[in-house]
Amino acid sequence: MDLIEIFQQVINGLSRGAIYALIAVGFAIIVNVLKFSNFAHGGVLGISAYAGYLASSQFNLSFIPVVLIGMVTGAIVAVLVEFIAFRWIRMQKGQLVYFFVTSVTMLMLLEQILVIRFGSFFDTYPYDLIKVKFINIGELSISVTYLISLAVTIVAFGLLIYVFKKTKIGIAIRAASNDMTTTSLMGINTGMVIIAAFVVSGMMGGISGVLFGISTSLSPQIGQVVVKGFIASVLGGLGSLTGVAVAAVALGLIEVFLVSTIGSGYSPVVIFALMIAFLLLRPQGFAGVSFTDKA
Amino acid sequence: MGNELLRVENLTKRFGGLCAVDCFCGTLEANQIKGIIGPNGAGKTTILNMISGVYPPTTGQIFYKDQDITKFQPHKINHLGIARTFQNIRLFQNMTVLETVKTAYSWRAPYSAIETLFSSPRVQKFEREIEEKSMHFIDMVNLKDCAKSNAQSLPYGLQRRVEIARALASEPTVLLLDEPGAGLNQTEVRDLVELIRRLFIDLSLSILLIDHRMDVIMQLCEWIYVQDFGECISQGTPEQIQNDPIVIKAYLGEEINNA
Repeated sequence: MDLIEIFQQVINGLSRGAIYALIAVGFAIIVNVLKFSNFAHGGVLGISAYAGYLASSQFNLSFIPVVLIGMVTGAIVAVLVEFIAFRWIRMQKGQLVYFFVTSVTMLMLLEQILVIRFGSFFDTYPYDLIKVKFINIGELSISVTYLISLAVTIVAFGLLIYVFKKTKIGIAIRAASNDMTTTSLMGINTGMVIIAAFVVSGMMGGISGVLFGISTSLSPQIGQVVVKGFIASVLGGLGSLTGVAVAAVALGLIEVFLVSTIGSGYSPVVIFALMIAFLLLRPQGFAGVSFTDKA
Repeated sequence: MGNELLRVENLTKRFGGLCAVDCFCGTLEANQIKGIIGPNGAGKTTILNMISGVYPPTTGQIFYKDQDITKFQPHKINHLGIARTFQNIRLFQNMTVLETVKTAYSWRAPYSAIETLFSSPRVQKFEREIEEKSMHFIDMVNLKDCAKSNAQSLPYGLQRRVEIARALASEPTVLLLDEPGAGLNQTEVRDLVELIRRLFIDLSLSILLIDHRMDVIMQLCEWIYVQDFGECISQGTPEQIQNDPIVIKAYLGEEINNA
């Protein structure tokens, strides 16, 4: 690989990593609050990706409204999932494994809804959703889609940091992530906090779904990319959102380089092997707080 | 009694076969400090947990201003005006002192989630108010200099103060203090007693204090309940308690022998 090519791959990797970071953070917010791995997040992402697709292909909306529609859809679907699937288990004070099993079931259910509506083919976002495809700087040609994904991710993260650092909702979510009982003893309605967490998580999931759909292609199984969010959450340390985001970007970079060197067949093998090795060496993640019970 | 705030009747809690609290009755009036004393395992914290709504009593009732709050959720009880601290300090990880105190105050700000997204001037105004008010509570427990430090990195004695500030931030009428003296040295205990007395007067609070240390309880409380193995074996003024043969036998006697 020459320098130009490496630089190109770095940009590709960063943009892919940024989308993974959005997925991973949306995933990790629920892990932090309810202490289980919410694979239904993949379903939220998938439905939002198709919502964005419909908005752009049927209604010819432009890029920013499409992203916003994805975001709103994500929030609504995430809250619905909580309402339909998790609420009852919460009320019964069910074990974590029930949440986990339910979340995987919800992922499959939402996928099937997409199969019924769209068939199991590949779709793509309209070609002219992003008009200019490449910016050329000397020999370097940079994909505008990737740059825009990167920019949207940065904006979304800015919003997230603002909410978590500066608003009552963010503070309440952080407190509930730490200790649900104490939080409610301080006068915070933890039922509302959980809904707020699903809204924020769903918004992140919705944006990531649209971006991932635009930069790759759409199939009803698109939600399974949530596994990348899961990997990044584990690598980053499930307690720390910053750690998770950093791990996700690293994952994106590694993946792009692996695909360009050993090909897309072997790359997941190497990544999962790395993950297992990492779990053995440092189960609490890069920046991790360790949870004693997670499912 | 006109100014009675809190009344518990026949409060009983069983955990499986163990009876942690057996038929506890008591009252707390406005502007009063009462204490519950007893050795470890006497059921003191269990009583506070029931009052604050962590779990419901097996039988018995809790009244606050004549309203039955026995089955209320913890945040509802807090909204009515009952706040608490914890024996084993329960601060939030990765939060500054200021953020910790904000948690208990900020839910009052009347702005909606949608407004948050647009960071409207209203939101900013309320958030500024929350911050100022929280700083005020931090100042009350003399922690102004530590407001930006990570709450859990502070020394134990100061962490207690953070907890007290957080409890004050929900602007309670009744403050429940669960062993505030636990793990503190003599100087820290003296400062703490000073602080509690000052808050009691300045904020005209009503305080229910739990401790197994005689010095804290005797200095502060005007009325004391003595718990032993889940049962209330005696109650009275500090002088009465100190001279009660049953109490001396069950509790003080041990201490004197140990010393």
